[in-house]
Amino acid sequence: MEKLQAGMNRILPSSDQGCLVLDASAGLALGALSGLEDFEASVRPLLAHLDGLACSPGQLRRLPEQIFGGTTLLVRADWTNALRGEDHALPVETVVHFPILEPEDAADLGASGLVVSFLLGYDETVEADCLRTCVRLALGGKRLGLPLVVEVLPSGPRVSLPGKAAELGASYALESGADLVAVPFTEAASLKTIGAMLSVPWLVKPASPQSAAGEWEQARDLGAAGLWLDHHWAPAGLALAGISDLVRQVRQEGA
Amino acid sequence: MQSGWSDRMERLFNRRSDGRAICVAADHGYMSDVTPNVVNLRSIARAVVQGGADGVLLSPGQAVRLAPLFEGPDGAALIVRADWMNMPRLGGSNVTNAVPQRGLFHQPVLGPADALRLGATAITIYLFLGYDDRLEAAGVASCARFASECRRAGLPCIMEPLAVGSRVNGTNIVDLLTLGARMCAELGADAIKIPYTGDVESFARVVRVSQVPVLVLGGARSEDERDALELLAEGLEAGSAGCLMGRNVTKSHDPEKLVRQLCQMAHEGFSVEDALRGRQWDRVRLRVVSSKCTGCNLCVTACVAAHGERRFGSQLARLGIEPIRLGQHRVSYCTLCKKCIDICPESALSWHGSTGAVELHPDRCTACGKCVEICPTHVISKAPTAAQGRRLEPWLPAICDLCGGGPACARICPTEAITLGERSTVK
Repeated sequence: MEKLQAGMNRILPSSDQGCLVLDASAGLALGALSGLEDFEASVRPLLAHLDGLACSPGQLRRLPEQIFGGTTLLVRADWTNALRGEDHALPVETVVHFPILEPEDAADLGASGLVVSFLLGYDETVEADCLRTCVRLALGGKRLGLPLVVEVLPSGPRVSLPGKAAELGASYALESGADLVAVPFTEAASLKTIGAMLSVPWLVKPASPQSAAGEWEQARDLGAAGLWLDHHWAPAGLALAGISDLVRQVRQEGA
Repeated sequence: MQSGWSDRMERLFNRRSDGRAICVAADHGYMSDVTPNVVNLRSIARAVVQGGADGVLLSPGQAVRLAPLFEGPDGAALIVRADWMNMPRLGGSNVTNAVPQRGLFHQPVLGPADALRLGATAITIYLFLGYDDRLEAAGVASCARFASECRRAGLPCIMEPLAVGSRVNGTNIVDLLTLGARMCAELGADAIKIPYTGDVESFARVVRVSQVPVLVLGGARSEDERDALELLAEGLEAGSAGCLMGRNVTKSHDPEKLVRQLCQMAHEGFSVEDALRGRQWDRVRLRVVSSKCTGCNLCVTACVAAHGERRFGSQLARLGIEPIRLGQHRVSYCTLCKKCIDICPESALSWHGSTGAVELHPDRCTACGKCVEICPTHVISKAPTAAQGRRLEPWLPAICDLCGGGPACARICPTEAITLGERSTVK
């Protein structure tokens, strides 16, 4: 457990400041995102501002070690096509989700933690797969001191109450062994429930780059430990100015 | 990562210290019907190795039998096909389909440890996009597993994204291949084998988003071996690291020669023309035998089209065909007489450094017309300039530039009335 705590400390380096993690792993399913085509050149200037960077296994193995400095590296350990919208070159017909890495592979790649998505609102088998994957990776990760970050994605067509679905996803993540949970920004009552329920740190995923600052303010008051920036940040938000402004706000207000 | 990965990548992509590889795919017997290239595999594989191939892709079974071809640290690299699929037997391909298949099936067959025992320098696996989501997902899972296992074993993993199935059409295939290339890179491919997208610009994007060496594959065999060379030329222009070409080579009448030509292009900088004639010419010139000319005017059309000025009048051609009596024609072409260069008062014309053709420097040209007047063969025309921009001259001389060394007229002439010769001296 000491190793695991050390891993967590790397992701959340200081308890009195908000942390910022960028998930740049969406290329696994979406292909080359505008703004991330040259992955190393795109993320290099951001690293000084980030506490954590989530990468695909392929990107992680190509990034030179010396560029990271104090940024913690997380590796995406699952794959899903659920992120593909109607305008994607290959729009999704059947949502699938499965693990692509073992914790040993992640350790081999030099990652400090594992990231998986928990999908809600799709076929029941998808939900079951997510649960099984989370449990397996959480247990495997703990043996190696690799924390598991679970990103809650209540994005399926059967989601009728988004706030409650976020609560459910956060609960499932916790119960299956997550060490850190990323939840989408949602209604205040649900965030409050999530904050009260989760006995592990949690990050909030802003709905958009434009609304991030305001949403962080609300989530911080409810106990969020920082921000989780997903693939929606790639096209517009990867501009250094946008991220560094946000960092300033997260760090100052978290202090 | 296990040691050995770098050495194996070097063997595959840096045998000639240029980061390029000419590889031949000879694994068709594993997945399609019995064709002559499958029956004669042993002699074909020997020929492509003798031709200088940097790598040969084989099925596991053939890898065992043909292992002696890959002995020694400096020889061609053995690439082993680690999965199996039935796509060539689904119909719509150029094989006979003795046992047609009802659906696409794809599965891993051997692991990296098995491949290493076979002496492999790398393995290759497919990723299918466009058939259905579950097949794609299974492919992703497979690729991810191979990437991790290969990493541990120190074995380079070449992934091959293919866009196949009812969800693929003419409008999305380039997007799907680009998507597939990036997905493979994100999954951990060490190199990517991928079909050509049809033009240099879109293929350059595939190469850019791949972030690892890209090998262009050849697809179905073309009757004209020039097509294989041109495919490689365009792939190299787009930034690819070479090719992993199959049927174009294995069904060739002379696989050794074709591989040697491909190697000359990738490793020695030969143009397609140079490769076809087997040696590099410093400079070229047109050779014309008017008695062979039938007056078909294909050369004139090709000349205008080759210069891509979006104007299609034959008066813009940089050569001419004129009937002189029934069944006889005179071909007017640039004889490199140098009169235009000598008379230009602005030194706007000079010999091109590499092709030896006349080169126009538009910024110096004042459109005085002296070159047009003095040309003894009357093949310098006045090409109207675009209205926009700062240029004030209403036209510029259109002068034969030998199409950069591979003249379109000589390439298209069906009777060899126009051919290409070496120009040994420049006056």
